[in-house]
Amino acid sequence: MEEMLREYLPILVFLAVAIGLGLVLILAAVVLAVRNPDPEKVSAYECGFNAFDDARMKFDVRFYLVSILFIIFDLEIAFLFPWAVSFRDLSDAAFWSMMVFLGVLTVGFAYEWKKGALEWE
Amino acid sequence: MESIILFAPLVGALLCGFGWKIMGETAAMWVATGLLFLSAILSWVVFLTFDPTAHAGGHYTVSILRWIESGTLSTDWAIRMDRLTAIMLIVITTVSALVHLYSFGYMAHDDNWREGEVYRPRFFAYLSFFTFAMLMLVTADNLVQMFFGWEGVGVASYLLIGFYYRKPSANAAAIKAFVVNRVGDFGFALGIFALFFLVDSVNFADVFAAASTLAETQLTFLWTSWNAAELIAFLLFIGAMGKSAQLILHTWLPDAMEGPTPVSALIHAATMVTAGVFLVCRMSPIMEFAPHATAFITVLGATTAFFAATVGLVQTDIKRVIAYSTCSQLGYMFVAAGVGLYSVAMFHLFTHAFFKAMLFLGAGSVIHAMHHEQDMTNYGGLRKKIPYTFWAMMIGTLAITGVGIPLTGWIGFAGFASKDAVIEGAYAGTQGGYAFWLLVIAALFTSFYSWRLMFLTFFGEARGDRHTHEHAHESPMTMLIPLGVLALGATFAGAIWYSSFFGKTNEVAKFFGTHYATPGTEEAAAFAAANPKASELKYAFDGAPGEGGIYVAPDNHILHEAHYVPTWVKLSPFVAMLLGLGIAIWFYLINPSLPGRLAENQRPLYLFLKNKWYFDELYDAIFVKPAIGIGRVFWRKGDGNVIDGAINGVAMGIVPFFTRLAGRAQSGYIFTYAFWMVVGIAVLITWMSIGGGAE
Amino acid sequence: MVAADLSVILPEILLSVFAMAALLAGVYGGKDRWAPMLVWAASAAMLLIAAFIGLRGAPGAVAFGGMFVDDAFSRFAKIVVLVSAAAVLAMSQDYMQRRGILRFEYPILIVLAAVGMMMMVSAGDLMALYMGLELQSLALYVVASLRRDSAKSTEAGLKYFVLGALSSGLLLYGASLVYGYTGTTLFSGIVQVAGQGDISLGLLFGLVFVIAGLAFKVSAVPFHMWTPDVYEGAPTPVTAFFATAPKVAAMALFARVLHDAFGGAVRDWSQVIALLSVLSMFLGAIAAIGQTNIKRLMAYSSIAHMGYALIGLAAGTALGVQALLVYMAIYVTMNVGTFAFILMMERDGQPVTDINALRMYSRREPARALAMLILLFSLAGVPPMLGFFAKLAVWQAGLDAGLVWLVVASAVASAIGAFYYLRIVFYMYFGEEDGDEVETNTSPVLYAFLMGSAAIMVLGIANMFGVDQAAAAAAAVLVN
Repeated sequence: MEEMLREYLPILVFLAVAIGLGLVLILAAVVLAVRNPDPEKVSAYECGFNAFDDARMKFDVRFYLVSILFIIFDLEIAFLFPWAVSFRDLSDAAFWSMMVFLGVLTVGFAYEWKKGALEWE
Repeated sequence: MESIILFAPLVGALLCGFGWKIMGETAAMWVATGLLFLSAILSWVVFLTFDPTAHAGGHYTVSILRWIESGTLSTDWAIRMDRLTAIMLIVITTVSALVHLYSFGYMAHDDNWREGEVYRPRFFAYLSFFTFAMLMLVTADNLVQMFFGWEGVGVASYLLIGFYYRKPSANAAAIKAFVVNRVGDFGFALGIFALFFLVDSVNFADVFAAASTLAETQLTFLWTSWNAAELIAFLLFIGAMGKSAQLILHTWLPDAMEGPTPVSALIHAATMVTAGVFLVCRMSPIMEFAPHATAFITVLGATTAFFAATVGLVQTDIKRVIAYSTCSQLGYMFVAAGVGLYSVAMFHLFTHAFFKAMLFLGAGSVIHAMHHEQDMTNYGGLRKKIPYTFWAMMIGTLAITGVGIPLTGWIGFAGFASKDAVIEGAYAGTQGGYAFWLLVIAALFTSFYSWRLMFLTFFGEARGDRHTHEHAHESPMTMLIPLGVLALGATFAGAIWYSSFFGKTNEVAKFFGTHYATPGTEEAAAFAAANPKASELKYAFDGAPGEGGIYVAPDNHILHEAHYVPTWVKLSPFVAMLLGLGIAIWFYLINPSLPGRLAENQRPLYLFLKNKWYFDELYDAIFVKPAIGIGRVFWRKGDGNVIDGAINGVAMGIVPFFTRLAGRAQSGYIFTYAFWMVVGIAVLITWMSIGGGAE
Repeated sequence: MVAADLSVILPEILLSVFAMAALLAGVYGGKDRWAPMLVWAASAAMLLIAAFIGLRGAPGAVAFGGMFVDDAFSRFAKIVVLVSAAAVLAMSQDYMQRRGILRFEYPILIVLAAVGMMMMVSAGDLMALYMGLELQSLALYVVASLRRDSAKSTEAGLKYFVLGALSSGLLLYGASLVYGYTGTTLFSGIVQVAGQGDISLGLLFGLVFVIAGLAFKVSAVPFHMWTPDVYEGAPTPVTAFFATAPKVAAMALFARVLHDAFGGAVRDWSQVIALLSVLSMFLGAIAAIGQTNIKRLMAYSSIAHMGYALIGLAAGTALGVQALLVYMAIYVTMNVGTFAFILMMERDGQPVTDINALRMYSRREPARALAMLILLFSLAGVPPMLGFFAKLAVWQAGLDAGLVWLVVASAVASAIGAFYYLRIVFYMYFGEEDGDEVETNTSPVLYAFLMGSAAIMVLGIANMFGVDQAAAAAAAVLVN
């Protein structure tokens, strides 16, 4: 048990640092920042909607289309990043695997482009 | 050739039954009849040319096809040809061919059918099918095949008794025949099971070879230990009792007269009912090792012969008189078989087939002439109206009553030779006991009721409906020719084949294809001392079981002894016949009012006989009513309330309830669905944690 | 090394490349005008791949460090999946085109789902399993709501998606528990830990969650609730697809996971499977009685059939897996024929799903009615038909494993279930006409599938076309 907990010590340290840093930044903002409030600024942020409203409302599906497409490419970057960092040490197989992945992604991208999913109107 | 004999009737039945629409009615009937005649002619060729000495073991086998292969049960469909089969072949095919021909006339018009209804091809097809099944029975090479034929004739009999299916009485009679036979068949089946259990085979060759071993085997059946041979012989005889209408299981035969008369002649006189006798003779290798069972056969046969003859005395329906007569004659055959005289049993079977078929066909001719009137009290004085029928019936009566020259043994009508042989055998086999005396008395009664039938029908004043009598007419040639042919048989069959069936031991042994030998001098000497008139015991049967047509044990000398019974024994059936004739003349020609007064005076006895010893009433009270009662209980309470109630309750109450419940659970809301999934997994987890999985 | 891996997985690669090529061709080419051609091409491609799988060299290879397994079992399942998917696709072309919902994405989605299924049945690792499962599921979510202008179809897709996500969550949770307690995601590694005597409670929890996730895919009670709604809402060809290939794939995956990964803990999962099985059989039989919509009825029918098939799995023996595979193969064949018939049902060009419309159908279309009668008898498990032998196989396996109570219960359930199949037969042959009779689409393709399937139900009893030998070989690989 103790053994295991000791293995998680670095995470605890990370957590402490993260919380500490967060607190420091917030407190710094309270202390240092210039405050000039207006209603738009202080309301909670929600992409394109009122934060507090009836849940059963009509909305434009394009928001979701864009967000889903965004997530795909977002994840692609998350996937590419470690690959790029360790590019020097990668084998051919790893290189071509990523190429195939990008190829598949490109096919999808080409499809959505041609379908007009990227055009707002 | 054997295959043609066997399959010609089947082909005839199929062509006639299914092809008449194409061929036309008459052509179809002629096809069936023609094939039957072909079969009959070939049968006679086979019978006359059959030489048992030419084949090893006195028989040969014609294989047709492999039939049943299941574990150690292996039976081929094969024809066993020996003397026994050959005799049955000619009896069956000859009578059947003649009955087919006869039916052209008899079935020409029938009030039981509506205008335009086609019934004759069906009738002919059934007849041919019956013949095929009967041939299957007698040609069988193993017990299963024999059982197949046994049940086949049962079905044909059922179909033909119930041929007039619009008549409730015919249907009832058909069902009765079928059900009563089922009792016997159960015994037969048990016998086959026992044989298969002990011998591991149902083929005759294996069964017969094991016969002597069976005699030394004990078998537990119904919590009791039995001698295997005795038990098997007894069980097989139960089958024979059913088919041959012996006492206890006889009640179906008189009712079977509901069928058309040609059917009665073919099935219920000449062939099917003799299957039981055939079975006992066929199984003679087993019977010879079962002294108690054969003693039982003797007693039961004699009792049946007596019983049926007494009932026959007072019946007024012409067909029923002959039916009881058949029942009685079958008793004679069983007595012969029971005392060990299988050849004599077959002899009587053989001659009986001719004269009894003729009596039935003659009766049919009378009925035909009298517009389907069957009551003899409405006949009388028909001698002049239908002379040919009269003479045929006369020959038949002379044959059945056993008219001949006494002490010659064979000079006389067919029944004379064979019946006297049976009675002499009964005397020798039982040392003048019960069976012998019953048979002699039965012979007296036989003579009486046979002549009574003749006198009531053909002599005296015309009684009954005058119109019917005026229009009485002789039957057509198709009906008279069979009568003529059968008359030949009824007259000469006994004399011609006397020595073959009831001659000296060596003659009989040769005829049936079994070995004979001169026994040791000691035995010969002892026999000669006991029977001074017997010059010497020259020969004795010495065949192995299964050899030839019948097996007679080497120590069975009844055949020999029967030839040397006292003279008064030999005369007794003749005297009985004369007495019966005399009484009949007195009662029905000289003093016709006497029978009525006698019936008045002896009313209880008369009613007892008239009602066939109350067997039907007894069975009705003991079996039929309780069975119906139980059936009603099971039907109303068991089937109706319990089973239907439960099924209906589940099907109309519980299941729809759950269906509604399931429908309600399927709410359409996604949260319900998710909820049930979560509940499901919660239950599974809880169950696994508490139940502990593998623990 | 990589080349060897790639050659093992070649059929999947070929099919994926085909799907992507078709996608680009479709979107840059003729769009929906090419859809019919793409349907046939996809169908042919799947058949070709099935033939390729069946004919290529001896099975028994693993790729990517054991994550992908190519053995007799996976090949059997793949061939059944591909052939049934190809059959359903071929059946759908006419129906969808005439109703204007035949988009060129449809065949591509089906092909991608098929690739997912192939991945599922070949999975040798929890991650590979999840990958295949999701590829299949995502494609299916989309095709379920293919008919975008229909509220029911959209609802079906959405329900399927939400509940599918929930089940995926359960499965993933179970997988993470399994990983946590065994330290590996490879089946071959898990079985080493799970096979050593009693398994720990945590692993048991993981097992139960994995089972729950998979039970959703085979629509076993109580994870079945989506089935009737989705079957009813989805366009009929899609329903036909749902009822066939994915069921086979999910069932094969089920067997794969339980035997390959938890083969040492048969007694643990056998009772869970038996419970799911008995619940499915009875719910399928009882709830279907109240249905008049033939698609909903078929949904409950498939729930019940999954229950019977699960008997084979609950047996936990090679014989059981063999029976399961035989059952699924026969089930798929029956369903293809039955859905061919359902696709034919229409009035004035509109699809009809009410079984009351079948009254006295036999008088109008005796041949089709007879074929449907054979199929319904087979579904009900009436002896001379092949469906009976499917049940017989699982019963034998169940008895062999000592699950007498389960077999008896399933016999009772099948007796109850026979009612609703026979009711359709009753309507077709004895019902009274009331003027709202169904007309029949005369598509020769549907006719051929209906008749072929019915013929198999009768002719197959001779030797099941060798399917049982193949299933025996497949089962022998999985259970040893």
